Amino acid sequence: MANADTIAATATAPGRGGIGVLRVSGPRVPAIAEAMLGACPRPRHATLGDFRDADDRLIDQGLALYFPAPHSYTGEDVLELQGHGGVAVQRLLLARALALGARLAEPGEFTKRAFLAGKLDLAQAEAVADLIDAASAQAARSAARSLEGEFSRRVDALVAGLVEARMYLEATLDFPEEELEGHAASRTRADVAALLGQVRDVERAASAGRLLREGLRVVLAGQPNVGKSSLLNRLAGDEVAIVTALPGTTRDPIRETLSLEGIPLHVTDTAGLRETTDAVERIGVEKAWGALAKADVVLLVLDAREGRRVADRAVLARVPAGVPVVEVHNKIDLGCEAARVPGEEGASAVFVSALTGEGMDDLKRAVLALAGRVPSTEGAFMARERHVRALARARTHLEGAGEPGLGPELVAEELRLAQEALNTITGAFGADDLLGEIFSRFCIGK
Amino acid sequence: MTLSPDFDVIVVGGGHAGTEAALAAARMGARTLLVTQSIETLGQMSCNPSIGGIGKGHLVKEIDALGGAMAQAADEAGIQFRILNSSKGPAVRATRAQADRTLYRQAIRVRLEGQPNLWLFQQAVEDLRVEGDAVRGIVTQIGLTFTARAVVLTTGTFLAGLIHVGQSHYAAGRAGDPPASALAARLRELALPAGRLKTGTPPRLDGRSLDYRVMERQPGDDPVPVFSFLGHPSQHPAQLPCWATRTSEATHDIIRGGLSRSPLYTGVIEGVGPRYCPSIEDKVVRFSAKDSHPIFVEPEGLGTHEVYPNGISTSLPYDVQLALVHSIPGFERAHITRPGYAIEYDYFDPRGLRRSLETRALAGLFFAGQINGTTGYEEAAAQGLLAGINAALQAQGREPWCPRREEAYLGVMVDDLVTRGVTEPYRMFTSRAEYRLRLREDNADLRLTEIGRQLGLVGDERWARFEAKREAIAREIGRLKSTWIHPQTVPPEAAQALVGRALEREYALYDLLRRPEVTIRQLAATVDREGGQVPPEVAEQVEIQAKYQGYIERQEAEVERLRAQEDLRLPDDLDYAALTGLSTEVRQKLARHRPETLGQAARISGVTPAALSVLLVHLRRAAAGRTPPAPRQGLAS
Ligand SMILES: Cc1cc2nc3c(=O)[nH]c(=O)nc-3n(C[C@H](O)[C@H](O)[C@H](O)COP(=O)(O)OP(=O)(O)OC[C@H]3O[C@@H](n4cnc5c(N)ncnc54)[C@H](O)[C@@H]3O)c2cc1C
Ligand SMILES: Nc1nc2c(ncn2[C@@H]2O[C@H](COP(=O)(O)OP(=O)(O)OP(=O)(O)O)[C@@H](O)[C@H]2O)c(=O)[nH]1
Ligand SMILES: [Mg+2]
Repeated sequence: MANADTIAATATAPGRGGIGVLRVSGPRVPAIAEAMLGACPRPRHATLGDFRDADDRLIDQGLALYFPAPHSYTGEDVLELQGHGGVAVQRLLLARALALGARLAEPGEFTKRAFLAGKLDLAQAEAVADLIDAASAQAARSAARSLEGEFSRRVDALVAGLVEARMYLEATLDFPEEELEGHAASRTRADVAALLGQVRDVERAASAGRLLREGLRVVLAGQPNVGKSSLLNRLAGDEVAIVTALPGTTRDPIRETLSLEGIPLHVTDTAGLRETTDAVERIGVEKAWGALAKADVVLLVLDAREGRRVADRAVLARVPAGVPVVEVHNKIDLGCEAARVPGEEGASAVFVSALTGEGMDDLKRAVLALAGRVPSTEGAFMARERHVRALARARTHLEGAGEPGLGPELVAEELRLAQEALNTITGAFGADDLLGEIFSRFCIGK
Repeated sequence: MTLSPDFDVIVVGGGHAGTEAALAAARMGARTLLVTQSIETLGQMSCNPSIGGIGKGHLVKEIDALGGAMAQAADEAGIQFRILNSSKGPAVRATRAQADRTLYRQAIRVRLEGQPNLWLFQQAVEDLRVEGDAVRGIVTQIGLTFTARAVVLTTGTFLAGLIHVGQSHYAAGRAGDPPASALAARLRELALPAGRLKTGTPPRLDGRSLDYRVMERQPGDDPVPVFSFLGHPSQHPAQLPCWATRTSEATHDIIRGGLSRSPLYTGVIEGVGPRYCPSIEDKVVRFSAKDSHPIFVEPEGLGTHEVYPNGISTSLPYDVQLALVHSIPGFERAHITRPGYAIEYDYFDPRGLRRSLETRALAGLFFAGQINGTTGYEEAAAQGLLAGINAALQAQGREPWCPRREEAYLGVMVDDLVTRGVTEPYRMFTSRAEYRLRLREDNADLRLTEIGRQLGLVGDERWARFEAKREAIAREIGRLKSTWIHPQTVPPEAAQALVGRALEREYALYDLLRRPEVTIRQLAATVDREGGQVPPEVAEQVEIQAKYQGYIERQEAEVERLRAQEDLRLPDDLDYAALTGLSTEVRQKLARHRPETLGQAARISGVTPAALSVLLVHLRRAAAGRTPPAPRQGLAS
């Protein structure tokens, strides 16, 4: 299958001094390179260059690499721009490539293209399949995170409003002879105007940057009393969490942002994962499972004297696929009868004491090593970017729907496309779903 | 006893699906046998006496473009014609006709009898002749065996049909016809995936016992529309109006009082009915806040006094039916000629079909119509046509024709059925078509006549008239694109009338026509001196194409983007359980639906873009096993 389209994505190692790499692959690469750099760089040479916007203003400076087809990773023309700027600058670079005709790459799409171009061994098919799966799972997690809270509520309200407007409009198109309660001819126009206001609000909220929380989500999880809170305090160098000798001390998750060699770590301490009859603790345990589902790295804390227990296996089973786990054997100052066994299924294991600080460097090194392994293309940056793009597409179609003099079937078409754009944020809503809404609201049929 | 000679195609059932299937196969040159329970009921309308409507009219026009019978029969039998949605855009406009049942049956029968290569035979079919994994023929009720290369089953609501009126029920195919019980039992033995659905019909009334003075008169359109590309209003018989009345609070009280004896509400009926065509008892229960429901009184024909009260489909006991009818204004003294009833019947899960409508289980066996879980004459006829085409193609050793979603409503329907299956009787709605702006009644001829011609379905007369129309459209568009008007030569009043202000630059007439407010007639009246000379159907088409151009181009780009995916075939024997990188849920779904193409896989709910990529990767490995990999170069991942 020859790819007619050109894809782009920003790969950012979380933090790392803000270096992000814009990667573009496909037939439009030479044109995009020329537009952004003034000229297509010499093949396969790192060239220092100025990256420019549509008005020829400087966006950033950095290294440009150009690999013409077929001698590239994907087998297509590939361009890589490594800038110095932070997140805002990376957004501008990506936006420029998209404006020049590229589209946002799907998770794992570069590797997929490499495989389909015969650049990877056929025997690697399974590895490629797994990588695409893991990358998209990671993307889904990032997307879920960027959909937290207020933003999510607003998107939901927007989609609900859109479904309502479409329900009325489509009902008048497919069932013109039915009595549609609550429908007035002027309704759609008012609906579209209201939706347009809503989508603009959501877009503003998304662009305000509040959603962008780059960095690695590290979750401390484990049984009660193994020393999770003590470890957080040790990592933070401060008493941020309450520590007592009583199991079940921590209830609400406690988040602390630290910096490890320049990489922001969002460390969450959670309630000990046990069955409990205490209502408050149970809520805490639920929240702990929730935190686990959104983790980039899980630190499974164990009591070194006891090692891995059955309950810990249950925790491991609920760690999302592809998320690395470090087994942290704590309290080694109390003696460590259990042999220093390697972690389960390739998980790394470290042996520490939160009390004395012994082994803490090993723990930090393990986390840093993993930071490099987390699929970096699908961090919060790309997740947010996808949402922003989808909202912009939805807005364009809502604007189209609001054009004066447009026939109802054309308004319906614009609204359908707006819904398709939002589907990429909220999940599919198809023709059957819409008909379901219509039939449950109106008494249709003779 | 086996009767020779061998047929190419045998069609079982002479309803809307079966008659179109038989006509299509025979037109394509296949020796075709149509076997049905009764020659008298060929082309019988089981329920309401009307053809077309939104979505359905679209199907009828497509059937017509492919040389089918339904549109022409409707033109010869239609006693009232209307264009629905005429004030809305062309994509959602649709033709609907009230039909005289007797005239309609006649029109169909005349065509069947006049069709070369087609033989009619009256018998109930009780069994299939199966050899290995292929069907070879049929066995009838008196033990006759007919053999053929392909068999099309179109048995409608007849398979294990069970009619309910109140608490009493009896086996039947529809009121007045016996069920197909032996065949149903045999098909169940073949372990085809089956289910039960339900539909219903209202009581019929003697029109002489109604008081029309209290009803609202609903005349047909003037000028009278036609259905067929080859049709003409002069073919229509005399035209009649319909009438409208409503249920009252008293009606609803009577219905609520009868629910304890309703087969629907006492759990006697197990089959699933459609949500959009509920019985009157359903409407009253589900929409209890509504104090009145509309009823349309439709004439059953010119030669009868019977009328069809559209809107009170019911399976309540007869005494309740009578009381509820009498509570309706205008029906106070109505005489019921036939009780309303519900019918339950077997259907086969259409996910067991290929896009050609051939069953996966048995080669050469095709299903079309209500047997596939659809409802409606038009849906049945369209499938019948397709199954007839593909049965003939198979008998002739040719590849099947599978219309695409962007090509025809027929493609949308078949794709919906075979990829998603049904949870209730499937009816066409325009909102099911993502390419609705392309799939219009007005361009069904342009979309499909040429394909019909290639398949051997379109005769010389239709082809000649079609080519003339197509050329005239192209010529007119060319002329409008190359005719320029200049600000100096257009009087300001004319420009004002046309676009609301003076022209600031030169315009091609076609560009002016693309504006929402400009019509071809206005152009002719103001600036287009040569305008107004093409036939109205050509002018209409040019105008619609100009108005929709931007939208159609956008949809075309979308179609193009998805083409590779739509074209990529998934092997029949793909072992989904063995594929890594797919969630268990996705693997199970794919194994259950067995999509034929990657595009179909994409339309199964829960199959994500990532899952498609993974599938693609596995397919590539399976397909390209032999090519050595190129050396790895360039970037690392
Ligand atoms: C009570 C009722 C209510 C309905 N209500 C509606 C409605 O409200 N709206 C709507 O759109 N549609 C309605 N329909 C559906 C509509 O009638 C059907 O969808 C349509 O007729 C199906 O066409 P078909 O060709 O598949 O089958 P049918 O029209 O049912 O034709 C089946 C044919 O097969 C023949 N046959 C069956 N078994 C055998 C056999 N073993 N051997 C030989 N011949 C056989 C029969 O004699 C018949 O000719 C209703 C149908 C019924 C019965
Ligand atoms: N000796 C020793 N004691 C420790 C160490 N780490 C934690 N403790 C003690 O273990 C007890 C529990 O510590 P916490 O940090 O509260 O444990 P937790 O896992 O957060 O417990 P919950 O919040 O109840 O799930 C306290 O009394 C700590 O002082 C360690 O490394 N060595
Ligand atoms: Mg704690």
